[in-house]
Amino acid sequence: MGFRLYKEPKLINPVLVACWPGIGNIGIMAVDMLRRMVAAEELGDIESWDFFYPRKVMIRDGELKDLEFPDNKFYFKKTGKKDLLFFIGEEQPTDGRGVYAEGTKAYRMANLVLDVAMRFGCQRVYTSGAAVAPIHHTTRPRVWVVPNSKDLLDEVKGYENTVLMSEVEGRDGQGNITGLNGLLLGVAKKRGLEAICVMGEIPIYIHGFPIPYPKGSKAVLEVLSAALAVKIPMDEINALIQQSDSEIESVYEKLPSEIKEQLDKLKYVVYAKPSEPEPITEEDKKKILQEIDKLFKKDTGRD
Amino acid sequence: MSEGKSFKLFTRPKFDSSSVVVVWNQDVGRLGPKVADYLTGQLDGQELGEISPEGFFSLSGITVEDDIAQFPESKFYRCQNEDFVIFRSDIPRFDWYGFINLVLDIAEKYFKVKHIYTVGGMVLPSAHTTPRTLLSVVNSAEMKRMFGLYDVVHDMDYETREDQRPTFSSYLLWAAKMRDIPGACLWVPVPFYLMTVEDPQACKKVLEFFNRHLELNIDFADIDKEVAEQNKKIAQARSQFPELDGYITKLESNLGLTADEGEKLVKEMDELLRSSH
Repeated sequence: MGFRLYKEPKLINPVLVACWPGIGNIGIMAVDMLRRMVAAEELGDIESWDFFYPRKVMIRDGELKDLEFPDNKFYFKKTGKKDLLFFIGEEQPTDGRGVYAEGTKAYRMANLVLDVAMRFGCQRVYTSGAAVAPIHHTTRPRVWVVPNSKDLLDEVKGYENTVLMSEVEGRDGQGNITGLNGLLLGVAKKRGLEAICVMGEIPIYIHGFPIPYPKGSKAVLEVLSAALAVKIPMDEINALIQQSDSEIESVYEKLPSEIKEQLDKLKYVVYAKPSEPEPITEEDKKKILQEIDKLFKKDTGRD
Repeated sequence: MSEGKSFKLFTRPKFDSSSVVVVWNQDVGRLGPKVADYLTGQLDGQELGEISPEGFFSLSGITVEDDIAQFPESKFYRCQNEDFVIFRSDIPRFDWYGFINLVLDIAEKYFKVKHIYTVGGMVLPSAHTTPRTLLSVVNSAEMKRMFGLYDVVHDMDYETREDQRPTFSSYLLWAAKMRDIPGACLWVPVPFYLMTVEDPQACKKVLEFFNRHLELNIDFADIDKEVAEQNKKIAQARSQFPELDGYITKLESNLGLTADEGEKLVKEMDELLRSSH
């Protein structure tokens, strides 16, 4: 169980940006777009067969030709200042019970990713994911930031459009980051590396559905591009947002008016601190999610 | 037991014998971690090795506390004094017995442990102005005799209530007894309204014991300063907020507080003192 490197470039103070799929694909969409926009080159991969169940078999003329596993690839980009390393995993290694990484395999994968990063002299890691928040899909999502050391607090407070856990209503600075996007932060801490997780907000009534939320990804992309001092054109993500907005709106329009009224209240939630009118109650929330679930099931039924 | 998957030693020190002090990161008033921080700071503690989290902790992500990502750690430190080792760890989530035995295996095989101590805080409905006491629970007659020489309460009677479970320190002490390793759990009562923050007075009480017992030559200036600062902060708050002063005065007079009063006091103190850490 290890990694393969296709080349060994000399990198200057590289920063690793790593991501695995998660809620709304918020992190992975942002990181993969960043990788493509800076035209990062392939560097290597993690040998997947010890981590994943194969996803495709190729049989030709009765003979098994190949077995395909999820990709776990490293990329690099020389910038002249702080070079960039990327790691993008197509799936999180699990023991077969859940979607998110867990247990020994997850821990080993996190260590392998850092083995490669440290081989190139990396001392700083970014991961990304989603933050489920009581926001409306028409509002601009913020980005929750969690560093793995107190020394990074001042820096992350300076990132535009971000909040710390302590600034989120009812959290009191506490929380969880599930899966490898969180675990990597912890393993980096254990190995003496700085790490920051940036999580784009996704509306609470959308997060459970199998659709991407590019608006959250854009918020992450803005934070990452500023933190890494890389300029990124936003045309592509803006187009995706437009498309996703119209899809969400078409579902939204089909909601019963009483549910829509409840959800519309989220437009007035001044971040973290609920303002007038009163925020939706737990009971309302349950009802709303059931209604949206029904709508999505109807749509899926057509396929 | 062999080094590799479950644990790793960073250096190979030679021990003829050692005293091992065990602290848990999840402790009332951060007593254990604070004692470990002070001892490693004062005695030039160096990392000796660590136990891998695999099999003992949930590795399904991380928790965030006070805005910072946390990750379980289980590390051994060697202090300048060659026969003194600190083990600082999170309490494992799985395979408790396996974890305890691994700690003891390492302590026996590599550090030639002679005595093992755990440190912990216990919540008490007392005021911060009440002098701290040190209580011990030992696992051998030898340790009982030794504690008789110190200003330590060593004749405690206690049984776990039906709705509770023994502490992890007690579990470790019992396992040490099974191996004939003399040991003691050291407990300091911490005023309940300091349980979520820090109690430097309790910390000092433990440090004083180790200083005398293990002849460590600790400089207490820093911890004295912390005690004074905390007392000053609370005194200022008492003079500003009569309600708060009333609660503490009641405790000082050995009167109980209602659940509401207690909750308010904990919340106020947490807000007041957390900012200073």
